[in-house]
Amino acid sequence: MIDMLSYFCIGGGIIFWFWGTLPLLGKRSVLFKLHSLSVSDTLGSMAIVFGLLLKLPSEWQLLILAIISLAIWNTMLGYVLAYCASSQEDL
Amino acid sequence: MNSSLNLILMLMIVAMLIPIYAAWQANDVWQKMLALASVSSKASMIILVVSVLRDDWMIGVVATIVLSVGNAGFMILAHLLKRMDHS
Repeated sequence: MIDMLSYFCIGGGIIFWFWGTLPLLGKRSVLFKLHSLSVSDTLGSMAIVFGLLLKLPSEWQLLILAIISLAIWNTMLGYVLAYCASSQEDL
Repeated sequence: MNSSLNLILMLMIVAMLIPIYAAWQANDVWQKMLALASVSSKASMIILVVSVLRDDWMIGVVATIVLSVGNAGFMILAHLLKRMDHS
């Protein structure tokens, strides 16, 4: 049961990855791509790490640290890139 | 456990190839930054899956450091690029 749940979380995370990364190849604006990319990278990666956590509970400290740093750093990076890229388009 | 995690690893590597191709194609510096930021967080996730696959803590610590410091470096680079264009 736990194995099924962990593969479900990891599979969902990978689907999130593909969903957020495919628009990168399109012709949309930077901010549109950034939004779908940062949402999918952050949530998809957190689902993958949670799946890994279910698979290997002995390494829980490191995986929870990875989830926390994902939540903080990826979100912050998305904001900084949006701030820097959008002030560029206003010129 | 190994064969399925190997399949997951291959899927993740394929997912990482897309932003690498996008970074190669992009002309605008911000599109390139966007794609490479995605590559860095995906690469650290792949390292984390390998660390669980091999049950090796040290590789997991490397993945978490890459995750934190890589994104921090990107933020500094973004601010630098913004200031260079203003001056």
